[in-house]
Amino acid sequence: MNATTSDIQTTRTICGYCGVGCSLDLVTRDNRIIAVHPAFDGPANEGALCVKGQFAYDYVHHPDRLSHPLVRDGEGRLRQASWEEALDRAAQGFMDVLQKHGRHAVYGVASGRTPSEANYMMQKFIRVGFGTNYIDNCSRA
Amino acid sequence: MSNPLADMEKPDVIFCIGTNMTEAHPVAATRLKKALARGAKMIVADPRRIRLAEMADLYLPIRVGSDTALLLGMAHVIVREGLADLEFIATRTEGYDKLVDHLQEKTPEWAASITGVPAARIEEAAILYGSSDRAAIFYTLGITEHICGVENVQSLCNLALLTGNFGREGTGVNPMRGQNNIQGAGDSGALPNNYAGFQPVDDAANQAKFEKAYGRRVDLEKGITKVTALEQCGDRIFGMLIDGENTVVSDPDQEHCIHALKSLEHLVVIDIFLTETAELADVVLPAASWAETDGHFVNTERRIQRVRKAVDSPGEARPDWWIIGQIARRMGMSGFDYDSPVPIFNELCALSPIYNGIDWDLAESGQYQWPIPYRGHPGTPRLHEDAFINGRGKFSFTDYRDPAETIDEDYPLWLTTGRRLESYHTRTQTGRSEGINELLPEETLEVHPGDAARYGLRDGGWARMSSRRGAVDVRVQTTRRSPQGTVFASFSFADVPINVLTGSGYDPITHTAELKVCPVHVEPIAEKAQLAAD
Repeated sequence: MNATTSDIQTTRTICGYCGVGCSLDLVTRDNRIIAVHPAFDGPANEGALCVKGQFAYDYVHHPDRLSHPLVRDGEGRLRQASWEEALDRAAQGFMDVLQKHGRHAVYGVASGRTPSEANYMMQKFIRVGFGTNYIDNCSRA
Repeated sequence: MSNPLADMEKPDVIFCIGTNMTEAHPVAATRLKKALARGAKMIVADPRRIRLAEMADLYLPIRVGSDTALLLGMAHVIVREGLADLEFIATRTEGYDKLVDHLQEKTPEWAASITGVPAARIEEAAILYGSSDRAAIFYTLGITEHICGVENVQSLCNLALLTGNFGREGTGVNPMRGQNNIQGAGDSGALPNNYAGFQPVDDAANQAKFEKAYGRRVDLEKGITKVTALEQCGDRIFGMLIDGENTVVSDPDQEHCIHALKSLEHLVVIDIFLTETAELADVVLPAASWAETDGHFVNTERRIQRVRKAVDSPGEARPDWWIIGQIARRMGMSGFDYDSPVPIFNELCALSPIYNGIDWDLAESGQYQWPIPYRGHPGTPRLHEDAFINGRGKFSFTDYRDPAETIDEDYPLWLTTGRRLESYHTRTQTGRSEGINELLPEETLEVHPGDAARYGLRDGGWARMSSRRGAVDVRVQTTRRSPQGTVFASFSFADVPINVLTGSGYDPITHTAELKVCPVHVEPIAEKAQLAAD
C-alpha cells in the first residue's frame, strides 16, 4: 500500500529528554512516528534539536515496551495480568501495609520524566491516602 | 534558572562551572556559542577538559569537589580589587560587612592550594567576572552532586550578589535542569517539604488550605527524602509506589539500593519498560510514553509547555495519571474521579500561587514562565528584577569541606561521573534507539595516558575499578580530557553499573548524593571475552 501525504499527521509537542524543553513536531503515519521536525517557533530551541531529540524516538515503538500489567505469581515470577487484577493487587498491597505498619510505612517516588499531571497525582495519592508527606521525586540522584 | 534561555545570548562574561552543557544540554549550549560569536568572554571551571573548556577564554581545571574554595577565592579578589557593586549591595542585599570579614583569609593562594589552579588564574577569573557589566553563571550537577552542594550554590549566589548580577538581561545564577519535567515534579508538590507551588508543609495555613481541598489532614511535619526512605526499607518503610524511575541503575550504592527494594512487602512500579527496578516489583503497570500522553512539562527556565499525544500506546498501556487514580479509587479515596488530565492540571493551577494566573486553556500557548500569580499576569521570564522574593539577597558564609571520601594509598584515583551526548540516563530509551546505539555502543573509562601507564592499563583494554563499596569491569579509553589523577565514566550502561561504586556521602540539607566524587583503585584485567571463555 502506497502512503500518500494525506496519511501523514504532525503533532506539536515538547522533547522528552533534558530540561531545555525544545518544541518539535512529531510526524506520524499509521500510528507510528516516522520523523521528528524541530520547531522554528519553539521558544526554547528556535529550530534547533540535539542528536537525542532529533533521532532517539524509536524506543516508543520498541518490542520491549510493556503492553500489559504484570503481577508476581506464587513462584516469584512476573506474569501477565488484566488491569482489573493488577490494580486490585496494587491497591490491596498498600492497604495491607497501611493496616500492618501504619501510615508512615508507604512511600511514593514521582518521576522527572512524566507530565506534571502524573506528578500531581502521585503527591495527592500519598497525601490523601496516608496523610503523610512521604513523597519525593527523582531529583536527588 | 533565574533568567530565561534567551538571555544566554546576552552576557558579556559567561561563567560555566560543573556543567558539561554541549553534551547534556546541547541546544542551550548553542545560545552560549552565539554569545561567544558576538564577542562574549567565557570562563569554564571543570575537572575535565570538556568541549566547553576548549571553547573558553579562561579554563580553570579544578580538582573534583573543590568548587567552594575556588568561588571563595574569587569573591576575595572581587572585594580586594574594588569590583563589588556597592550600590546594589546597599539597596538589595544583607550581610556584606560580615562577608568581607569572612573572605579575609580566603585568598587566591589559599584557593590555589585546594583547587590546584594557580592563584593568578583565579585572580584573572574573578577580575573578568567582576568587571563586566553583564555576567551570567551557569551550572549543573557538577555543583550540586556533592556533600557541599548547598554551599556551592550559595557561593555562586555570593558572586552574583557581590557584583549586582541579578534581575537584569544576560545575568543571573542559572542551573540547567537535567530532565524534561524535573522542574514540574517539584512544582506539582512531589516533594517531602512542599505542597504544590512550593508551599511549605510545615506551615499551618498551608496545612489548613490543603485539608480543605483534599478532605484529609496531612502531617504538619515534613516527610523524609527518597534517600532516607531507601535507608528505611524493611525497617519502617514497607510499601513503595515508583513511577518512571530506574532507581536501581540511577541511584548511588547499587547493592544497598537493590537490597532496600527487595526488603519491601509491596513494591508497585509504573514504567514503559521492564527496567531493572520494575523487575523487583510485585506489580508492574504499563504506562503511556511521552508521545502517547497529554499534559505539561516545565522546562529549566520555568516555562510551562503542552505535551500532546501523537500515537496510541502499545497494547493496554495507559497514562500515568489514570493508573495512579485507579489505585487511589480502589483504596476508597475520594477526589480521584478525573476523566482526563485537564481537571488535574486546573486543580494544580488553582492550588498553586505561582500558577494561579493560568489554566489548561491559557497554558496552550506555551508563553508562560512562572510565577504567574493572577489572571492577566504575563508570567515572569526573569526573576529578582526589582526585589528578591524574601526581601533582601542574603550573603552566605560558606567554607570549604573535603569530599566525604578522599584519595589514599588504597584508592588513589578520583572517579567523577556524568553524562554523554549520545545516551540519556540509564538508557532505557536511548539504548532502544538504533542509530544512537551505533554512535555510542558501550561505556568506557576515560583515563589520562599518564595514569594508564602508571596502573598498567592500555587503550581499548579492560580495567577493574573498585571503590569502598564494590567493583565494576570497564573498557579503558586513554584521553587527555581527564586530567592525571582523575578518571571519568557515565552511569548510563546497566552492564557497567558505575553506581555500584558511588554513594560515599550526601549533602546534609538536600540529601543529594555525592555522585561527582568517588575515590577508586584501577587494575588491568584480561579481556572480558577471554574471561567468559575460561
